[in-house]
Amino acid sequence: MSNEPEASPPTVTAPNGVKRREFLKVLGVGTAATAMVGCTSEKVERLIPYLVSPDQTVPGVSTYYATTCRECSAACGVIAETRDGRTIKLEGNPDHPVNRGALCARGQAALQGLYNPDRYRGPMVRRNGQLQSVGWDDALQLFAQKLGETRSRGGAGNAVFVNQHESGSFPGFLDTWLAGFGMPAHLSYDAGADHAAIAANRQSYGVAWPRLDFHAARLIVSIGADFLDSWGAMVPQQLDFADARADHDNSPRLIYVGPRRSLTGLNADQWIDCRPGSEMAIVRMLAGQLPAEAAAQATGVSAPVLAAFAREFAAATSSMVIAGGGGGDGLEVALAANALNQSRGNVGVTIKPSEGYLGFDRMAAPAELRALAERMNSGGVPLLMVRGANPAFTLPKSVGFAAAMAKVPFNVSFSSYPDETSELADLILPDHHTLEQWGDAEPVRGTISLQQPTMDPVFDTRATSDVLIAAAKKDPGSAARYPMTVYRSWLIGRFPGGAAGLAAALPRGIASGSLGEPTTARPVPAVRTPPPIDQSSGNMYLVVYPHPFLGDGRGANKPWLQEIPDPVTKICWQTVAEMNPATAEKMGLANGDLVTVQTSAGSLTLPVLRYPGTQRDTVAIGTGRGHTHSGRYAKAGFNPLEILPLAEDRAGGVAFVSTKANVSKAGGYAQIVTTEGSARQHGRGIGQAIAIADLQAGRPGHDTGAANVAEVAANAGTEALAGDHPAGAEQGEEMPGDAPHQFLPGLRSPVANDAQGEQGDPKSKDKGMYDPNHWSGMAKRRWAMTVDLARCTGCAACVSACYAENNIPTVGADWQVGKILPDRTGFGANLLRSREMAWIRIERYYEGGEDGGADFDTRFVPMMCQQCGNAPCEPVCPVYATYHSPDGLNVQVYNRCVGTRYCSNNCPYKVRYFNWFGYGEPARPQYAFPEPLNWQLNPDVTVRGKGVMEKCTFCVQRIREAENRAAAEKRPLKPDEFTTACAAGCPSRALVFGDAADESWTVTQLAKDARAYHVFEELNTFTAVVYLKKVMHPAPSSSGGA
Amino acid sequence: MNLRSRWLAVPGFICIAALATMLSAYSGASSSEGNSPVQPVAYRHTVHVDTLKMNCLYCHFSANKSFDPGLPAVGTCMGCHTVVTGSSPGNKAEIQKLTAYWNKKEPVPWIRIHKLPEYVHFPHMRHVNAGVTCQTCHGEIQNMKQVYQASSLNMGWCINCHIGQSNPPFRARYDCSSCHY
Repeated sequence: MSNEPEASPPTVTAPNGVKRREFLKVLGVGTAATAMVGCTSEKVERLIPYLVSPDQTVPGVSTYYATTCRECSAACGVIAETRDGRTIKLEGNPDHPVNRGALCARGQAALQGLYNPDRYRGPMVRRNGQLQSVGWDDALQLFAQKLGETRSRGGAGNAVFVNQHESGSFPGFLDTWLAGFGMPAHLSYDAGADHAAIAANRQSYGVAWPRLDFHAARLIVSIGADFLDSWGAMVPQQLDFADARADHDNSPRLIYVGPRRSLTGLNADQWIDCRPGSEMAIVRMLAGQLPAEAAAQATGVSAPVLAAFAREFAAATSSMVIAGGGGGDGLEVALAANALNQSRGNVGVTIKPSEGYLGFDRMAAPAELRALAERMNSGGVPLLMVRGANPAFTLPKSVGFAAAMAKVPFNVSFSSYPDETSELADLILPDHHTLEQWGDAEPVRGTISLQQPTMDPVFDTRATSDVLIAAAKKDPGSAARYPMTVYRSWLIGRFPGGAAGLAAALPRGIASGSLGEPTTARPVPAVRTPPPIDQSSGNMYLVVYPHPFLGDGRGANKPWLQEIPDPVTKICWQTVAEMNPATAEKMGLANGDLVTVQTSAGSLTLPVLRYPGTQRDTVAIGTGRGHTHSGRYAKAGFNPLEILPLAEDRAGGVAFVSTKANVSKAGGYAQIVTTEGSARQHGRGIGQAIAIADLQAGRPGHDTGAANVAEVAANAGTEALAGDHPAGAEQGEEMPGDAPHQFLPGLRSPVANDAQGEQGDPKSKDKGMYDPNHWSGMAKRRWAMTVDLARCTGCAACVSACYAENNIPTVGADWQVGKILPDRTGFGANLLRSREMAWIRIERYYEGGEDGGADFDTRFVPMMCQQCGNAPCEPVCPVYATYHSPDGLNVQVYNRCVGTRYCSNNCPYKVRYFNWFGYGEPARPQYAFPEPLNWQLNPDVTVRGKGVMEKCTFCVQRIREAENRAAAEKRPLKPDEFTTACAAGCPSRALVFGDAADESWTVTQLAKDARAYHVFEELNTFTAVVYLKKVMHPAPSSSGGA
Repeated sequence: MNLRSRWLAVPGFICIAALATMLSAYSGASSSEGNSPVQPVAYRHTVHVDTLKMNCLYCHFSANKSFDPGLPAVGTCMGCHTVVTGSSPGNKAEIQKLTAYWNKKEPVPWIRIHKLPEYVHFPHMRHVNAGVTCQTCHGEIQNMKQVYQASSLNMGWCINCHIGQSNPPFRARYDCSSCHY
């Protein structure tokens, strides 16, 4: 397999019989773990060599390619790790100006798009109503014929090309191609974008998406603007926000206004739970146009709270107001918020239009697609082409896009995956995945972010750009303009410096310059604005919100994204109706009771989830699930867009919050698929916090400098007193961990202390590897991690990175549960039985708000194996499958494990996971990696078999790899030379890994922080994970002017 | 045979069977030691290594820089064998087999002999760079007319080296997580 994608390799070809990919499958067996075979194998295994060795690659050694993520419009830079011709891991590109090395969960899961088992294997054509496989030659011939027919019949001017929204040079290339056939410019569609905010920004600031400088603000007011979920450029916004929050003394306060506390809302210091559709009243109050009492009347929030909010805003030295939320008056609210920024002088200070992101320019509003559907319905569209977008699913069903497609004589889809739109196509010309093709983006002005193939195509797909060139070559009118055969040549022709310039830029993945077309706003067609929400009928307001991972639904067939719990609700594989606990109580609804949500457009029956972050008169439902034709994993859940009436804001965006609904008890019950046991800490002190005033004053709750075990023991009795915070400290709750803590990098497990020399021989001079003076130096190290809760936003990017790195199986698909059980309950059934396998999870705890009130705080606690120095799991293992390594890891030896599960029972942190089924064994129905998902498996990590316990070991394979690398270069490990998968991807920089026994590693310095504590310190587990308390920023009035 | 001896015979037999099983497991008899399949092309390590004195790393090119020792591409073989066509009829026939694969653009489907379980990570480069010879694990491969598995490759066999050597550069870690992860 060639690892030199810039030169499509003619060298290794096997026209008949065995394909190159097949060679690799066997060539890689030494490392690619696929089946657990013992020392002896009866089967004859073949070793298949290359015909000709590819240059520049070494078998078993990774090659890294810089490319661009296309999972959302932001266009982050990624580094793709490719081993033996297969891309196995994505990480953020540290040199990239947008994401600066971080990568979100959706970006990580791009690999599951690349290796998706439901991808189209090749082109397909509809014959007799059925989609059938066809060769590329025939498919292209048909495509060219239809293009010719459309033009000769005079319909070219009405043909439509809908493309997924992207920046860079492809949109311009596409428009030129379309013009060659006499077709109008394409529609660039992103269902997940906030069109109201974009239109307002363009009107107020002149750019679609300014950079939000959170650090410059002292007060951030987010009116439904979920900048940590999916609103805008998520990763850079999260990086900036976490950095701002980490500067405790100058940290901005975040106030979230909206009917549902999203992930952004849960990260806010205060929540104003206004009624849906009443956001304008808040903005007007902040602008001084409406008294607090009147605003209280409109929003349902108490007047004193609003008055205090208005006072705080008026007094704030620098502020930032951002608005989203998808209401029918979304554009007006966003414009009013922007006007507020302008009047307060925030533009250029906290809101920086000159440093904006370009990924949101030139977007077609959903209203244009609705208008298109109307044209299609009237028979006015002779040819529809769709690439990378799924309007049949992502538009409200009331738009009727799917039905309108039936009226189009010929539908062409360029989708790589089956979806609701491609299912209706007459011809499918499947596109390469992002990681298989050339391209570019311009995420920020003056920076070209390059996209290059990281491996040869998985299936018989072709890049749409190349297909378009091939089609143009068949057309006498266009052929002359396309002398090149592939898009890459076209790209080189426009690239600054040509082929040499491109080659020079590829290693870093970025270049200076601009390839994109000039970006202008598109005119918005006549929109269907809804009547005020209060005029619709129903007993509750309906809030439809985008799921943080699944977004508009494009991630739904990626099992990681289905299985990783929603950061807010902790729901997996399921769509629920979120209701305030007080409201649910009043209606007699318990968690899981089915309710029917009825609007003028339809009704949906789904289980209730009591979520305290829902406004009392509101029912909230997330999008993204409930697909019918998007593959095996995407069938889980429901799609709330089916019951959303047709309504648009004035910018042409879908008004997701535009109607009331009748919510009634349906009878029946469905278990809630969640991974959390309790949303409350019950005084266990897992996620701790300290008020900023306490932190600044050095009051209790932090380290007093105690440095040995004796002092900890002496202080043990004073724990209760230690939590005795002075008056004025809002978060003065007593926590076990409030006792003075100290960090003991040298503490070893009892096994280590018992080490009696080599092979237990007391006369031996060699005292074994647990001796710090042993030549191996293993015992000199203490691998450790700090988790800064003041930075962590709970986004779960770390969880997805861990799934990717450690071959963690997903277990929630409905065929993965044992068929013997009578109560087989579909998607998530294994999770209901607590069989999830996530080595790292985000625990989310609420503090306060038990009565359903808005005044509650949230703690996000990433929880992974704590690598205890005195580990409860180790002594109970009857077979020494788990033990303490000299370098401080709590090791799990899979081949020793016999599956007693004693270790898991004895683990206070519940971070050990058991393989109840053969998730890693291809022959079993529970196999979690159906071909070719298994191509993603990390060859450095064992795929665990049935009956084996597994857990986090701080990415021990990365530790050993770094040690091997250092040994090869004959040098010691360098401080911060490498890190774990979770820490590498974290967009908040909350996780830091390193050697806590060495002062020069960052983690050692962080562990000395005044906020440091260990979870369950009172158990004397002496963990290697140090948490740093969350810092609370109470409202000025309640904390005495902090 | 009286009743008592009959009652003793059954547990006695079970004990002997269990003992035999354990002994065979610990002696390495359960491994593929000695396995020597007939390969699709009768490649002679004797000629290439012993007579021609070719370096192992010429063909197994990544043994000193990767976990994976590397398997020569058919093109590597043909680098010489487009010219070298063999001296004896037997050699000629085998080289013609190789040429046939090359002309068909098909790889030679070698049969794997040395195989560690997938929960073991064996870094070839650490061993090669420390000066452990190929023969230490793979036997006198230069004298093998047909390659066979010379060592048991069982864990006890690994450990005997890892704890038996106390001087650099051969001394090695024997922590479980050095190989098992």
